Amino acid sequence: MSGSRRHTAPNRRSRFAVWLEHHGWSLKASVLRLFGQRPLGTIMTMAVLGFALALPLSLWLLLGNARMLSQALGEGQSVGVFLHPQATQSAAETLAAELRQRPEIAAVNLKSPAQGLTELSAVQGFGDALAALDQNPLPWVLLVEPRSGLDAARIAALATSLRVLPAVDLVQDDGAFRQRMHALLALGTRALLLLAGLLGLAMLLVVGNTVRMDIRGRADEIAVLQLAGASPRFVRRPYLYAGAWYGLGAGLIAVALMAVLEWLLAAPAAQLAASYGGDMALRGLATGLLLTVPVAAAVLGWIGARLVGTRRLGGAVPR
Amino acid sequence: MIRFDQVSKRYADGRQALSEVSFEVAPGEMVFITGHSGAGKSTLLKLIALVERPSRGVLTLDGKNLGKVPPRGIPALRRRLGMVFQDHRLLLDRSVAANVELPLVIAGLTLAERQRRVRAALELVGLLQYEKQPPQRLSTGEQQRVGIARAIVARPEVLIADEPTGNLDPQLSTEIMQIFASFQQAGTTVLVASHDLTLLKRMKKRTVVLDHGHLVDDVPAEQVA
Repeated sequence: MSGSRRHTAPNRRSRFAVWLEHHGWSLKASVLRLFGQRPLGTIMTMAVLGFALALPLSLWLLLGNARMLSQALGEGQSVGVFLHPQATQSAAETLAAELRQRPEIAAVNLKSPAQGLTELSAVQGFGDALAALDQNPLPWVLLVEPRSGLDAARIAALATSLRVLPAVDLVQDDGAFRQRMHALLALGTRALLLLAGLLGLAMLLVVGNTVRMDIRGRADEIAVLQLAGASPRFVRRPYLYAGAWYGLGAGLIAVALMAVLEWLLAAPAAQLAASYGGDMALRGLATGLLLTVPVAAAVLGWIGARLVGTRRLGGAVPR
Repeated sequence: MIRFDQVSKRYADGRQALSEVSFEVAPGEMVFITGHSGAGKSTLLKLIALVERPSRGVLTLDGKNLGKVPPRGIPALRRRLGMVFQDHRLLLDRSVAANVELPLVIAGLTLAERQRRVRAALELVGLLQYEKQPPQRLSTGEQQRVGIARAIVARPEVLIADEPTGNLDPQLSTEIMQIFASFQQAGTTVLVASHDLTLLKRMKKRTVVLDHGHLVDDVPAEQVA
């Protein structure tokens, strides 16, 4: 030993350099503890958390596709406006131009009686019946698309306002279907948020409890560090990293599970769409969401570990 | 300078561990604290290490009243101390070098500096060849020397040891004490709690004698026989 009696102080290093050194050491210590000393237990814990995170993600996937399906099935909000049979093309075009000026209407498409007849003829069983008619009985039809974001009540109000127009014979607005679909989607979204909240809380508790057990199992090490002059932050830091690792691992497992789920569902969904004559494909979760999940889970894990670590390792007196 | 001024310690369970103990330890001095089991030796060291606080009286380290150090100030003060325990308190899941390295990590030294100092400390206690070994492969005496290397690696101002030779045979005990004496010669203040009177007589250092929490004798080095 040198003759110096001064204790070792990092006086030639900046606080930032020391801070970095401490974080590097804590990071390495946390990785060694989790993956070097008990890898199986660590992976099992991450898997449990990963499956829990995959549940709300699965529901999110289903809801997204249900919303897309509802739009594909015509719920895409077009209101059919049937004019009186005696209405002329000129009257139909004038009315369409007037309706396009309304702020709650995004577009108005005109369908002539001839177009209507052609479409109807294509429907199996109608061809012969229509051929027997002397003249085309179909009226001019305006397909009115409400502005995007309009709720069911305002669309119903729009339909009511169209019904009272003099040239209009019938307004076909499948409001009940739309309302039911909106209600179902809203219920699903609410259930999703509740489930995500509950599972997020569960994750906090699981990570917190795992870290608590880890702290109990390392009482000797903690006492040695405290007696050697480690600050509560220094002692706590490896456990915070451990919490973040648990969360990150769980998030990555959840994303992997979702990838597998999407892959498994893609073919049956395509078959279902084909049976309805459509080409709709299963829409997977957005890349941004998939990238956010592991990061958010790591933050949750860190918070869970911090809640426990602060309570258990707050003091400087060895226990 | 460590100064005990009428220091008493009563634990929460009502046990009186120290009663109005007064003495001083000069910088660079080596002092043995002795007495029967329950005399208050460990409590006295715990007060210096800020594991316990005095119930009454004043304990100072270089003029700083240790009884009034706020919790957030404790780690910095402990970094001025080196501690050796009877049961080593080595971490069995890491190597000898990693155990010795801990105080240097806490102090925020670079990896290169830590490695240099760890090797120097292990060389000093004669265990450099075991630096990569886990502690459990070492004998009890060797483990105690690892504990000493950990205590001195950060060059503490004060080294305190609680029954460091309690589990060792006489020859090993003498070797350990000679290591402590070498630190004292390098300028470190050393306080050792021990009930091994034969060893104390052999070392011929100032000896403070406790009995049921009372300081009953303070024998200068030259009068130890």
